[in-house]
This record gives sequence, C-alpha cells and structure tokens, in this order.
Amino acid sequence: MDFKKILCENKFVFLDGAMGTMLQKSGLEAGEIPELLNLTAPDAIEQIHRSYISAGSMIVYANTFGANRFKLDGCGHSVEKIIKAGVKIARSACEKSGKEAYTALDIGPIGQLLEPTGSLSFEEAYDIFREQIIAGSDADLIVIETMTDLYEVKAALLAAKENSDKPVICTMTFERNGRTFTGCSCSAMALTLEGLGADAIGVNCSLGPKELVPVVEEICRWTCLPVAVKPNAGLPDPDTNLYDVDPDDFAQAASVFADMGVKIFGGCCGTSPEYIESLTHMLKEKTCRERTPDICAAVCSYSDTAVIDQPRIIGERINPTGKKRFKEALKKGDIDYILGQAIEQVNAGADILDVNVGLPDIDEKAMMVRTVKAIQSVTDRPLQIDSTIPEVIEAALRVYNGKAIVNSVNGEEKSLLTILPIVKKYGAAVVGLTLDENGIPKTAKERFDIAEKIMKRAMELGIPKRDVYIDCLTLTASAEQEGVMETVKALNRVKNELGLKTVLGVSNISFGLPNRELINSNFLQICLSHGLDLPIINPNIAAMTGAVRAYKLLANIDKNAADFIAAYNDAVPSSVSAPSSCESGASAEGLLFAVRNGLKNEGAAITKKLLETTDAMKIVDDMLIPALDKAGADFESGRIFLPQLILSAGVAQAAFEVIKSEMGKDDTSVSKGKVVLATVKGDIHDIGKNIVKVLLENYGFDVIDLGKDVEYQAVADAAMADDVKLVGLSALMTTTLKSMEETIRLVKSVKPDCKIVVGGAVLTPEYAEKIGADYYARDAKATVDSAREVYGC
Amino acid sequence: MLIIDSINRPEALRYLACHDENISELESGIMDRCESELVGILSPRFVYRYFDIEVSADKVKLIGANLILDGADISAHLNECSGVVLIAATLGADADALIRKMQITDMARAVITDALASAAIEQVCVAAEEKIKSEHTGKYFTWRYAPGYGDFSIEIQKRFLDVLDAPRKIGLCTSESSMLTPIKSITSVMGVSETPLSHKMRGCITCDMREKCRFRKRGLHCGF
Repeated sequence: MDFKKILCENKFVFLDGAMGTMLQKSGLEAGEIPELLNLTAPDAIEQIHRSYISAGSMIVYANTFGANRFKLDGCGHSVEKIIKAGVKIARSACEKSGKEAYTALDIGPIGQLLEPTGSLSFEEAYDIFREQIIAGSDADLIVIETMTDLYEVKAALLAAKENSDKPVICTMTFERNGRTFTGCSCSAMALTLEGLGADAIGVNCSLGPKELVPVVEEICRWTCLPVAVKPNAGLPDPDTNLYDVDPDDFAQAASVFADMGVKIFGGCCGTSPEYIESLTHMLKEKTCRERTPDICAAVCSYSDTAVIDQPRIIGERINPTGKKRFKEALKKGDIDYILGQAIEQVNAGADILDVNVGLPDIDEKAMMVRTVKAIQSVTDRPLQIDSTIPEVIEAALRVYNGKAIVNSVNGEEKSLLTILPIVKKYGAAVVGLTLDENGIPKTAKERFDIAEKIMKRAMELGIPKRDVYIDCLTLTASAEQEGVMETVKALNRVKNELGLKTVLGVSNISFGLPNRELINSNFLQICLSHGLDLPIINPNIAAMTGAVRAYKLLANIDKNAADFIAAYNDAVPSSVSAPSSCESGASAEGLLFAVRNGLKNEGAAITKKLLETTDAMKIVDDMLIPALDKAGADFESGRIFLPQLILSAGVAQAAFEVIKSEMGKDDTSVSKGKVVLATVKGDIHDIGKNIVKVLLENYGFDVIDLGKDVEYQAVADAAMADDVKLVGLSALMTTTLKSMEETIRLVKSVKPDCKIVVGGAVLTPEYAEKIGADYYARDAKATVDSAREVYGC
Repeated sequence: MLIIDSINRPEALRYLACHDENISELESGIMDRCESELVGILSPRFVYRYFDIEVSADKVKLIGANLILDGADISAHLNECSGVVLIAATLGADADALIRKMQITDMARAVITDALASAAIEQVCVAAEEKIKSEHTGKYFTWRYAPGYGDFSIEIQKRFLDVLDAPRKIGLCTSESSMLTPIKSITSVMGVSETPLSHKMRGCITCDMREKCRFRKRGLHCGF
C-alpha cells in the first residue's frame, strides 16, 4: 500500500507516541545517545514500536531521530549502521504486528545551529541529512520533526526530495507566541514547505494539545496540505520532568483539532501507548473533515510574511545598473555596502527587497549566493531574486530561507522552459514579463495575451495561480508617450480578468524628463488605482513611499490611518538630501568638531561641502585623520572610552562614504594600503574584528574582510591575491588560539614578507610573539598603529 | 517566562571598560535607546537540572547522567559538595541578530548593545540561580563555575547541553569548536552541599587572567 494514497484518503492517520521519554523510563541516562540502543537493545526498541501498533498507530518512527554524524561523533558506529538497524527494527515490528503499519525514517535537528546564528552552513546541513536519507532507504516514508529552524527543515526536505521518492512529513516545534525558537512563524513554515513539496506539515513536541490550538489554527489557514499534530502530554514539571495531561484529556483536547480539519495525529514527549489508544478511540466517533482553505498570495522569509492583499513595496536599490559605487562594491566583494543598502530600504518602508548582482566581470552565481545569505542575516524582509541566468536563480532559491519571488520569466519559449521548472521546484512565486520573441508588444491586448500564456504554462507545471505576478512593463514616457496608458490598461485587465497579482517597475517612466520624482509619483498613483499590487520603487525617496502610504489610506486599506500616522506623526516633511545647516562649519575645525562629538550627518554634510573646494586626499590627510588621531589619543589616555571612539569613527566612516561616492566618479583612490582581516577558524565572535575594520577604513585603509570562522587557506589566498602587506587575525577563546597559530604559519610560509597583527581577549604580547605574530594589538587603536607602521603613513 | 525589562547598566559600562561613572549625555542617550531596543526583542530562557556527584582529585562524576566534569579546578570547586546543578541560559537568537544588524549600520550602537546583552545574560543566570536556591531551601551553594574557567575545558559544552536537553528545550547548541550558539548564552555549574561551605575564593586570586587584566592594572575590578 502506498502511503501517499493514504494521505489522499478521507480518513485519519495515526502516528506513534514518544520514544525518548519511554526509553528514559526504562533507564536511559541523561546525555546518553538513545540511537545506540538499536545495536545494544533492539528487542526493547521493537517492543515499544509493537505496543504503539497495538494501540492503533499506523506509522511508527524508527529510533533514528538523532542519528546524524554530528551527534554520533565519537560513539564508534557509523550513521549508516545505526540508521539501518533502527529502520530494520521498526520494520520488523510492523511486519510482526499483522496490521497495516508503516515505518518512518525519523530525522530530528542536527544539534548545531545553522548560519547565521550558528556556524554550520546550509550546504553542510544538506550533506548531513543526505547521508541519513540514503541510510534510511528501507523506510516507507520520511519524517522531519522537532525542528525550530526553517532553514534546517529546508535543507532536510531538499535532501529528502533529491535523494529519495518517499513521502515526507515535516513538523516543527512552536512556542506559545506562535513562533519557533529561531522566530519562524506558522505562515512562513506553511508557505515555504508546501512550496518545496512536503506531503504533510504540522507541529510536534512544543506544548500540550490545549496550548497548541492557536498554532494549529494558523497552520491550517496557510496550507492545502494534510496537517499533522503530535503534541506533548501537556507541560513538564521542572523538577520531576513528568507531564501533566492524562490520556483521556489528551484525546479530548486532540478532538478539537479534528474539527479544524487536522488529518494526522500522534503524541510526543510524555505520551505512551495509552495516549494513542485514547486518541484512536476518541476519533472513531469523528469523521475526517476535508479542508479547502482559501490561501492568499504571499511570500515570506523565515519570519516575515508579506501578504499581497494590498500594495506592497519592492525596494529596487540592490542593483548595480547605473550605480558606480554599487559596481565598485560588487567588484571588491564589499558585502557590507550592499547590506547597508538593504537596511536603508527596510527602514524606509520596503516590504520586499529585489536583489540583482549581475555585472559582466564577476561570478554572478557565487556573488548572488553570498549576497542572499548575507542579506537574510541582517533583515527578515522577503527577497525577490532578480537575474536572467537560470543557474543564478536556482542557486539563490536554494539558499534562501523562505519563499522568494523570481524576477523573472517572460513569454519566450526558452524562458518558460528554463525558469518555470526552477520556480516550481523551490516553491517560489514568479514575475512574468509581458514580452516574448517579438519584443514588447505595443498594445494592451497583446500584453494581456502573453500574461495569460505565462499563467497557463505556470499552472500546467503545478505552480499555483496565486504565485504568478504579471509585469506589464513600463515604457519611457518621453520616448513612447502613447504607450503609457497601454501599460495601465494591460495591468488593469490582468488584474481583473485573469485575477493575477501585478508588479511594475515604476521609475523608468520618467527617463529623460526633468523633475522625474513628480512624474514617477503620479504614475505610481495612477497604477495603484488601476490595480498595481507590487510597485518596484526606490523606497528611500519619500514621495514614492508616501504615494503608496497615501493610496492605502485613501483606499480604506490602512484602517483608521494607523500606518500612515505611525509613519508621519513625528516627521517633519523634508527632502531626502542631507541637512545643509552646516555652511559655516565646512572647515577642518567643523569636521573635527563633528568627529569629536559623534555627529554623523553633520560630518557627511561638511565633507560634501568641503569636497567642492578641497582635494579629497587633503580632507583625509589634513582633517579626518588628525581628528581621528585626537580621538585615539584621548582614548589611550582614558579621557574617552570605546563607545565614544567608535562614535567618532562612525562620523569618519560617513565622511569616507561621501568621499568614496565622489571618487566613484573618477578613478583615483584614497587607499593607504590593503589589510586582510579574519576571525580565525572555529571562532564565531567577530565584533572585535569588525570594530578594527571600521577604524582601519576610517584611516583610509582598504580592508578585505574575510568574516568569521575562516579557513587557514582562505587567509593565505587573500594575502597572496592582493599582495597584502598586513594581515589582522582575531580570536576570542583559548581553544581557537591554535587556529590562529596555524593560520600564521600558513601565511608566513606562502608570503614571508607579509606582516601579521593579532588581537583578542585571551592574547598576550608574549603569546603573540610565541605564535609568530609581528604585532600584538591590545585594542582596535593599536591595530591601526601597526597598519600605519607597516604602510609608513 | 522570564522577563528582563531593565539591564544592569553599571555592569554593561564595565564591559565597555568605561570606568568613569560620569559618561557623557550623548552616550547615556544612546545607551537608553540601545537598552530599550534590546529589551524589546529579548526572549531569555534557561534550563537546569540537579545531579548527585562523586568528586575525586581531577574529575567529578554525575550520578544518573552520562557526563564527567574533568579538571582539577572544577574538582576543587566542588570538593565539599554532594550534588551539582547544571545551568544553561540564553538570550535567544534575536539578540545576536540585532547586534549583527547594528554592526552594519552603526558600530557604536552595536558595541554598546553587545555589552548590554552580556549584562543581560548574566541577569538571566542570576534569575536561574535564585529559582534554584528557592527550590533547595536549607542547602548551601558554591558560586557558578563555567566551562572555560581554569582547566575545566569548554570542550564539554556539547555533552553538557545534551544532558540538559538544552537544544530542544531552550534552543541552545554548540558549534563544532564548542562555541555556544546563540552567542549570548552561558553554561555553568553550581555546587550544592548539605552543610555550610568553607569560603570559596572568588576574585582575582583565582582568575587565570590576573597577570594580564586591564582592570587590575588600573586598580579596578571586572566585577567577577
């Protein structure tokens, strides 16, 4: 019998109850590896499975929950051996029972946190799960359970889908606030996992059945898949570890879930065969209710869901087109600059961020993966992956923690054939451009026809209609004035006749005209009132974001004008350019004052003003650096403290940013020299290194920041590649000093003339010398001093 | 659930090496903002468990747990005790995320928030300690001793957390190199005794960092 068929039938499915707490009752010590019992006490495990089958379980979870290479490390047995033994025991129990019972390969969390909170990469996590999936190939189905990190579930589910053809049930563990420990929401779980092809989703462990009611309600609202619920036997007593709900109350509470349309039932911690028996008994009286939820169009990160039931702003700034400073950042791999752009747009009101890193002379795929990972580590706004290259799109969707939008597919056969299958595989939404082999059609009707074709082709592949968004394409009003209203007409028809969501890049409309902002915001208003859902705009321009907010207020979407008031109550209407209240202070003294007092905006404004009359190098050498020197000297003498020093550095950083964007216009450089920085392998505490980076940059050094937990070889490679004279290494823990020593050894062996400066809480000058460092830096200021010595500046 | 609505500011200032109480108005304003932002996203959690112990010269065996605390220093710390409580506490992933994000936009706020978070996690440990003491009335306790002190290696972290089921219960894990994740987390061991304990030294004299400590050089104290 095929388990997938059972999931389609209109009847309840019963899972088993706890394994771990059953084993603890029979004497398993805290901290012991329960899966070793598959080898040492197979009969005891089989007995637990059999008692669950007798009680009514149709699926038993093999004792393989923690059988991964991280948790089993050092136990003396392989993952394959332990998983195969576990699956065999469960199978044997099923066969001997004489009932219809299935064996599930049970996969729990790895036990290490994934990036960005932890240091385990998505790719390593995938690999760990893949090993388990392959080892468990004798099971009937796969369950991925007790997960708190959506990213980890995604790695496991992809590994399951790509390495087996078995059905997969995914359940996560939620807290009372409706979120997991890592902040994953019910809607994000449902949208992401249904998109990735899970066969059933739900919740296990967490809380007792009563406390889970709101969580399960919310999950049911967001998925068409069968829903599974496997609660704990109430809440544990912290002293005795005993759970407080008995089998009858458990079954009673669970029957509420049946009324919501939940199909799959079981128990987690604290439950036993008696609980399952009560459950099956109770649900005999009920019929399995079919659910037909009406799910809204939506995309999400792991924690933020953008429901497209009203206009949502897509921020367009992460895109190098026409931006010299952005191109420079891409070429140099200056990811912090891109992250700054991301955060600025979020603060300005972007609901979704478009990500485009396409540049002819860079590795777009590698850069896209790096950028997506970095952006999702600093903001939880959903992303729109913007590329024309299928491999780049796929690589980005793979590492994205949520449900993204793909920008874009179009009506060309080649595009439909390559892009749509990727969209389907990763469960993304997709932007369809109304153009094809013949270019952009002139009339609204022709664009409508292409939209319809894209919709049909997407739906044929199983992409839900709600996930297709159509872009009717903005033409430039100055060149094709008669086309403007054709775009608006097409948009309106796509929205009303096809019932699809619409998306539009707005800013193009005014190209070549004066007062672009005026044209842009008026065009945006017209489009919004004709049904535009997803305007792609620069959210940092107040008039554009304001147009969307005003529309929502006037269209009675923003009830009681709550969002509008929240956005504007305290704000004085202003233009976006930097304040110019510093005319008189546009001097070296003014800059010194700004640096000294941590006045960032003033520092930037003064610098801008100074650049009109003063050479950039002169500003750096004669004003900024002396100002920083003064702050540095005050810090050393104890007159100011670290936060003040960094505040001063922040002003200098803003000033440098102004200088760099001016420099971007010609090709001269203000660099004093290159410095490679890294937090050594094994260490994840990188705030110290990042402080050093800020200070070095403010003194005019070009910093190549390799990040944290950096391989020895990567440091050596970076030093070689750019012929760097100074490498800075940081380590916080005594255990990672060894990594520091190894890194120094390697760098010195490949590039003997490269100097090395080290710092970190547990280092001493003596130890630094012993491990071969040239300089010991007791703080960030001292690192700058060593850099100035090395580069003689 | 534990709620932390204000943070021990003097402690945070000490972490920032600000030994002058009269910090400028500017910083105090920034600190206020950082504190309220941090407090708003904290989800502090802790888990603990009591075990009877057998202490020998260089190790401590826990009864009923698959764990041995290795090292002469931890043995000396617990030598008058009949039991221990293992404690694990975390501020949750959101605190790390906030500090990470601030490092992109404003390093000064990041550094201040980092120090505030360090003070906050210590407050969580104090709350855990108070709860434990209230559940073991009439007993005597050592101060909290953490992996990484003396010769008590941090390589114990993974097993330590497994014994407490901390990954599942509070979302606290270790990396391959025994670093706690989320970063703003602490594990510690508190000895329990039926009889009064002779004065256990706590301070510079027992500290490995005493010769290189910047607080001590200035005639100050780190607060430990």
